[in-house]
Parts: sequence; C-alpha cells; structure tokens
Amino acid sequence: MRGTTPAGAFAFALRRLRRGWRSGELLIVLLALAIAVAATGSVRLFTERVRQAIAEQSGDTLGADLVYRSRDALPATLRERAAALGLRTLDVTQFSSVVFAGEASSLASIKAVGDGYPLRGELRLAPEPFAPAQVAHGAPPPGSAWVDARLWQDLQLVPGATLQAGRLTLRVAASVDNEPDRGNGFADLAPRLIVNAADLPASGLLTVGSRAQYSLYVAGARTALAQLQAEPLPRGVRMVTPQDARPELRNAIERAGQFLDIAVLAATLLACAAVALAARQYGDKLRDEIALLKCLGARRAFLTQALLLQLLLLGLAAGLAGAALAYLAQEVLARVLAGLMQLALPPAPLWPLAGATALGLLLLLGFAAPPLLAARNTPPLRVFQRSDDGGASSRAVTLVALATAAALLWFATGDVVLAGWVLAGSAATLAALSLAAWLLVRALTPLRRAAGGRGFAWRFGLGNIARRRAATIAQVTALGLALLALLLVSVVREDLLASWQKKLPPDTPNQFLINIQTEQLAPLKDFFAAHGYADITLWPMARGRLVALNGQEVTAESFPDPETQRWINRDFNLSWSDTLNPDNRITEGAWWGAAGHGQPWLSADKYAIERLNLKLGDTLTLDFAGEQQTFTVKNFRTVDWDSFKPNFFLLAPDGAVADTVPRQYLTSFYLPAARRALLRELITQFPNVTVLDVDALMSQVRGIIDRIVRAVEFIFLFTLAAGLAVLLAAIEGTRAERVRETALLRTLGARTGLIARGLLAEYAVLGALAGGVAAIAAQTLAWVLAAQVFHIPYGPRPLLWLVGMASGALIVAVLGWLSLRTTLRTPPRRVLV
Amino acid sequence: MVKQVSSGGQPLTILDGVELTIAAGESLAIVGSSGSGKTTLLSLLAGLDLPTRGEIELAGTSLTGLDEDARAQLRAGRVGFVFQSFQLLAGFTALENVMLPAELAGLDDPQARARAALDRVGLAARLDHYPQQLSGGEQQRVALARAFCGEPQILFADEPTGNLDTATGARVIELLFELNRAQGTTLVLVTHDLQLAARCARRVTLAGGRLQT
Repeated sequence: MRGTTPAGAFAFALRRLRRGWRSGELLIVLLALAIAVAATGSVRLFTERVRQAIAEQSGDTLGADLVYRSRDALPATLRERAAALGLRTLDVTQFSSVVFAGEASSLASIKAVGDGYPLRGELRLAPEPFAPAQVAHGAPPPGSAWVDARLWQDLQLVPGATLQAGRLTLRVAASVDNEPDRGNGFADLAPRLIVNAADLPASGLLTVGSRAQYSLYVAGARTALAQLQAEPLPRGVRMVTPQDARPELRNAIERAGQFLDIAVLAATLLACAAVALAARQYGDKLRDEIALLKCLGARRAFLTQALLLQLLLLGLAAGLAGAALAYLAQEVLARVLAGLMQLALPPAPLWPLAGATALGLLLLLGFAAPPLLAARNTPPLRVFQRSDDGGASSRAVTLVALATAAALLWFATGDVVLAGWVLAGSAATLAALSLAAWLLVRALTPLRRAAGGRGFAWRFGLGNIARRRAATIAQVTALGLALLALLLVSVVREDLLASWQKKLPPDTPNQFLINIQTEQLAPLKDFFAAHGYADITLWPMARGRLVALNGQEVTAESFPDPETQRWINRDFNLSWSDTLNPDNRITEGAWWGAAGHGQPWLSADKYAIERLNLKLGDTLTLDFAGEQQTFTVKNFRTVDWDSFKPNFFLLAPDGAVADTVPRQYLTSFYLPAARRALLRELITQFPNVTVLDVDALMSQVRGIIDRIVRAVEFIFLFTLAAGLAVLLAAIEGTRAERVRETALLRTLGARTGLIARGLLAEYAVLGALAGGVAAIAAQTLAWVLAAQVFHIPYGPRPLLWLVGMASGALIVAVLGWLSLRTTLRTPPRRVLV
Repeated sequence: MVKQVSSGGQPLTILDGVELTIAAGESLAIVGSSGSGKTTLLSLLAGLDLPTRGEIELAGTSLTGLDEDARAQLRAGRVGFVFQSFQLLAGFTALENVMLPAELAGLDDPQARARAALDRVGLAARLDHYPQQLSGGEQQRVALARAFCGEPQILFADEPTGNLDTATGARVIELLFELNRAQGTTLVLVTHDLQLAARCARRVTLAGGRLQT
C-alpha cells in the first residue's frame, strides 16, 4: 500500500501539521518549544556576551588584556607579532632599588612605563597622599616620578620634592592613588615609584644580572588576542591573563558564571515543563485519530514515522522561530542593558543559537516524543468506546524525561555537580509536588458531593480539582516546576546574591597595617581604643624560608613549576593562632584548638598544598633568620581570600614558634573616607608601621560584584518573563476542555459569575499548593547551592512558603483568568453542534 | 421569528417567519431533513441563542432583552436537556454529572435526587463510574437521569437516539417518555425519525427554515 510508505508518512505528517496548525492543536506545542528555545537561546547568547565582556573588563586589574612576563628582556618577535595582529603593546619594567630623599631612604619597587600606560583600567593621581585624586594616563614626564602613599610617608616627601634613584634625580610630580595593575599579594609589599621608561638607560639601575621583571602589556581585539595567545610562548616567558590576575577577581568571575548557569538552568527547567505538558495534551488529542487510522489499516511503523516526522518538522520550525526570537531578544536586552551595566558587550556569537536549537530538538525528543509515541498504543477499539487506555507507558515516558533532563542540565551548564544537584532537587520536588497534589485531591474529595446552596461556585471549582485527579497531579507538578524556577530566581536574586554582596559589607577592612613590632602592640591598641576601635585584632607573623620537606633538603630547583620556584625563593609568612578565623574552613584533618598550644604543627592552605604537593603528616622545616624549626602538617584549610582580612598560607598553633624567632604583627581595619586624617596621626606616632591602603582595590572588587549582580538580575528578569509565558502555555492547554465544559454548564443554567468563581477558586488553590511546595523546594535548593556550590552563608527565609503560596495563587489565578476568560463567553449553543 | 447568520459574508436565513406555541405538558416533535433548521429552532426555544427578529417566551418569560446570564438563570431548574452526543463531563462520575442541574438550581439535597434519578434509569450500580467507563446507551441513560433530576418543567431533546443502535435507542426512548409522563414535563423533541416523532402528541415539520402545517 503506497500510502503507508515513508513518503506517504511524510505527506501525512505535513498534512497533519497543516490541519493541526489551522485548528490550533499544535500551536501550544510549537509556542512552548519556541519559547523554550528562545528563553534558553537568549539567556545563553546574552550570558556568553556578558561573560566575555566581564572577562574583558577585568583586564582593568591587569592594566592590559594580556601580559607577557620574563626575568630577561622580552624577545622583540613577541612585540612585532602583536603589532602585526593590530594589537597595542607597552613595555613595563619593574625592579627593586633603594630610593633616597635627603637623609631618608627606602627600598622601593620601581616601575618604568611608557606612553599609553595603562592599556586597561584607571590610573588615578593626587597632588599628595589622601588628597582628591584624578584619572591620569601615560607616564610621568622624563625626570619626574609618581610616588605611592607609603613611599611618600617613608621618605617624608612634599609635593615637588627631589628623589635620587641610582644616577637619576627625579622630581616628585604626584602621589599614586590607584594603580590598576598593582596586584594585592602581600609578596609585593615594597612601596611604588613610577618613572618614565625613557629615564631608565641613564639611571644605571639595570645592569647585566640585575633582578628585574620585564613585561609586555598587550590590548586590542579579542580575536587578535586569541590568535596571539594560541602561539607558542618563547622560552622563559610567562603569559598572564585577566583570569590569572587576582584570586578575588577570579572568584568573582567564576561565581558570576555559576549564577548565570542558574539562570540557564531555570530556563531549561521551564522549557522541560512546558513541552512535557503541551506534548502530553497533544498526545491525548491524537488518540482518537490514531484509533481511526488503525481501523483504516495504518501500521505501527507508518504511525511511528508520521509522528516522528511531525515532531521533527515542528522542532525545526520552533527551533528556527525560537532562535530568531532569541537573537532579537538578547539584542534588545543588550541594547537596553549595556549602558546601565557599563559593559561594552562584544558582538553576539552565533554558536549559542546552534546550541539552543540542538537543545530544543533534544528537549523535543526527550519530552515530546515519548507521550506522542505512547499514543500509538491506542487500541483501534477506541473508535467504538473510549476506554481508559492511556498512561500505559507513563513509566517509560518519565524515565526518558528524567534522562533527557539530566542530559539537558549537563549540556546547559557543563558542570556535573551543579546539574546533579539541580536534577536531584527537581526530582525530589516533582515527587513532593505529586504527593502534595495527591493529598489535595484526597482532601478535596468530600467537596465533589457537597450539597448546593451558598458557596457552590467555590466548592464546584475545588471539587473539580478532585474530579480531575490525574490532570490535577500533572498540572500541580507542572505549575510547581514552573513556580520553582520563578521562585528560584527570586531566592537566588534576593538571598544568594545578597549574601554574596554582604560578604563585602560597607565596613569591610580597607586599611592594612604591617610591620608592627612586639613592643608596639600595647601602645597601638591604646591608640586604636582612643579612636573608637576597641576590638582590633593583631596577627603575629614570622618570615621563614623552606629548607626541608619531610627531612629532605629542598631548594627552588627541587620543584619544576616556575610559580613554586618563585614562592620557595621568597620567605614564607607564618602566623600562629589557637582559634580559626571564620573565613577559613578545614577541609581535611581537624583544627587543633587549645590542645595544639605549643605543638610544632602546621595548617596548610590550598595554595601551599598544591604548590608543595603536601599530604597530612608531611613535615616542613623552616629557617627563621638562622633558626630552624620543623613542623608537621596536621590539617588542610581553604581560605576565603576575598574577605579582605589578613590570612596566611601557613598557620601554626600559638606558642609553636620559638620566642627567639623575630616577628612582627599586622592588622586590618575599616576607615571611613571622612576619617582618613587618622592615618597621618598613626604614621606620626608609629613611623615604622606601614599603612597599606586597599580602598581603591576594594571599590574595584565591589564594583565588579555589583555589576555581575546586576547582569545576573537582568538575565533572571528575562528567565522570569519566559517562565510566565511557559506558565501561560500550560494553562492554555486546558482551553478546549474548558470551552466544552462552560458551554454545557451554561446550557444547564450556570451563570458566568459562577463559572468564573469556580475557575478562579480552582486555579488559586492549584497555584497556592504548587507555590507552597515550590517555595520549600526553591529554598532547599538554594541552601544546597549556597553550601555546596557557592560556599556562601545562607539564612533561609522561614516565611517564604507563605510568599510562595500567595504568589503562586495570585500568578496562576491571574494568568488562568487572563488566558481562559474568553472561554467564559462560550455560547451555550455550542453543545448542540 | 427569524434567524439569520452571516455565511461567507452573505446573510443566510436559517429560520424564516416561524410561529409556534407549545402548551404546558404538551409533547411536540420537530421533524425535518438535515439542514432544515431543527437544531437552530431548539436552541432558540431553549434560550441558548437569540433570534435575529421576533420574540420568544420560555416558561411564561420573554427572552427578549435577557442577557446570557439571565437566560441561564431562567433555564436553571426549569429546563432539562438530552443531547445526541450525551454531553457528559468526562471528569465527573455518573452521580456528579446527574447532580449538576440540581446544584445549579440550588435545590435541596442534590445527591439524594441524583441517586434516585439514576435508580429510575436503572444505573444505581453505576454511580461512581466515569462516562468513558459506560456504554453509549448507559451514557444516554445518565443524560436522561440528569435531565429529569432537577424536575424541569420543559425537556428539550436533540436527536436523543442519533448515536445509539436501534434496540438501545428504543429502550432510551421508552425511558424518556415514561419519565416525561411521570413528571408531567413539557417535551420538545427534535428528530428526523418519523416513528419516534409519532409518539409525540403533536408534530411540526421544518423545511427550508419554514414550518409546514
């Protein structure tokens, strides 16, 4: 029979789609899918652009988009290659030297820069330390220098003072208020002197064998940068990207990525819910037709081909429409937001659209194909009698949906842990929602046969929930999943992002004092107490050099990794305490507490563990200015480096370091801008104490966090809109049934008000139930995300379930009303047609 | 009365100058071929639709000027229906379907009434069955029980045996006339089955939208 060949199946699929489209049957499936692809696609597109922009923006903290560093002069080929690619370059040389001002002298980190400095970020200069600063560009004029606040203090400078560095005589032109590429490591603590690179040859400061760091700063178009980055590095040259620049920035960018992934996940979940619901409805509608086709001789293979072809055509149409919509939506979003976000977004790449369309097709196969293919099981007998022949393969449908959801989540995030948590949470939520719906059906069953009279409309509506048991459970589950995504948006936005922002509260320490001597502890505490800082904490610190690991002598050459070699070459900063700072977390072993007092033990941070490949029980021998001490590693820690509090790679118990070992103390505190005069007073009273002002750095980090939060919020706003649309699509799916029911009820004498109240009651209760369960699920999920993924504190909002119920009732009732109010006008004569 | 609709941009007259009075307790059959306007006339008489011109009174109340809701209220408790395609709500059990008109009319104890009505049509054992679990004949008996449950003054029946085989149809019709007699209901029956029409006290024939006398 020719009609049942693949060509016949294709012709049938096309005709069926055309008819289905005209009668509106497939419109919901198509819309749901297109919305899903559009939501996911636009979020991914926009996310990708924001991600790229943020990565680009953080070049601010490097002073460039890319930096090449070497201990020797950089090969000219690198500079030429960058220039050939149309990139801007700048040579920066950095070394240490003693600088004199009259009788005073200080070791300074000298940085020689040329015109165009910095390539990225903002250099701010002030006439003198702590005076109002202004943005500046370029290098100091030859013969002059810019000096940071510390060197200014050390050398007791005044504006226009003269400095001597090597053979150079330099006039002090300004004080450096913010140096974008300063870095915040305690390793680079020497005060800064910026000079013009043109003065360098005559200074005599750099000779063969001098220890200097040569850098080539590069900035320009991303594609050219990528090309340059892909080329092999010359020997001895190291490449630093913005992501390598600072750990706290890297954390911020990584966290932004995680938050944005949540937005993508929310969109994906919404898509799954919408397509699953719509496809199920479409599958149910197909049953009569399939029974008839079987009666007329259609074979199973023909039906399979016809259904799959329908799906494929539908998927392609929806994918294309969704991708186009996604592109437009993200473009509108970008245009509206780019200025507000102060981010110059790069052009939208097209690959996320291909990804979104593929995701759409996968979603179609996982969520739409199973219920549609299940319709093939409809017995031909159905043409005579509509027996309850559905749901035979519902377990298979669920399993396929679950597997697809897992694949989609992994595909959407690329993060197995995050996807796993969200999937587990979603599965638990689905189970909780189904259970809650089942309990509701049971609770409302008495209303099915309640007597008439007053309140009939409400009882009728609520009774309907119990009457449509299977539909109620499916609808509550779908509504709950959609509300979960919406609530998760709210929870992540309100709670998680706020928690993150709170990590840098306005009173985060912005001043560090180092080089405090033991005899200064008491007078310094008194000084602070007199100025209203009663609880200042002072951390002890000793500088030691690693000489042996597990009894084996080590030098820098014992380690192949250049970063470890550099670390070994410097002194280690070791502190000691019996109490663990709240921004430290033990990952292995146990904290010693008071029991560790005086024990030769060590607690190592992740950085030290990775560099030295440490295991618990390893021993480290440190040389403190000629005095050696051996410590055993007792536990591992991770340190929250963006807390802006003093922290150490290595910690020992109190009393473990011999009293004879030279030590100094450091502290950090918050100084409001209005009280900056306190610093002068402090320096006058304690001239040897060095003040490290990290205010500018903190504002920069805070600015980046704020920007990311805003970006995530905007993306979530879009996910929210997509969620509402999907919710609407879910409600729309019941339209045909409502129309029929309304016509009959009106024929039997029901007034519009009664039907409307019944509808509102039904949707409000469904929404409240779904919202309540979704709120609890969203909070649980947020708590897991906070603890397992973001590692930030999370205090649950106990009343969120109430908010969830109220907003669920309101959203679902309003959307139900907006969507279905036209069905209330169905003329009763429809029952006669 | 006249009923016109717009079809393809042209006015199409479905009923033209129909005048009909049905007395209380009377049984009337409206017969005619397909497309003669039988169902349109039934929907106008029951207040499901309004005529383009003319006036209709239902149970002594003029439908002119009554909006959809007012007409629904007029039907509630006074009018019963039996449809060709049964029109039972799929999510409702037989008992719940039958209770519906009594509930909408605000009558006392709708459940007891519904049970009694289902008992009268021989479905006392099928109270909790859903429509899809019932045969066509059983579904139409549930529809009959629903039609008589609210003790309506008037019963409108639109091709009540149209979807049933002869034997089942005959049993349903027996039941319909029996209940009609027992409750003294006015019966308006639309059919193209002349034998069925013959069981009514009066018959009118519709042809081309006009009543033939």
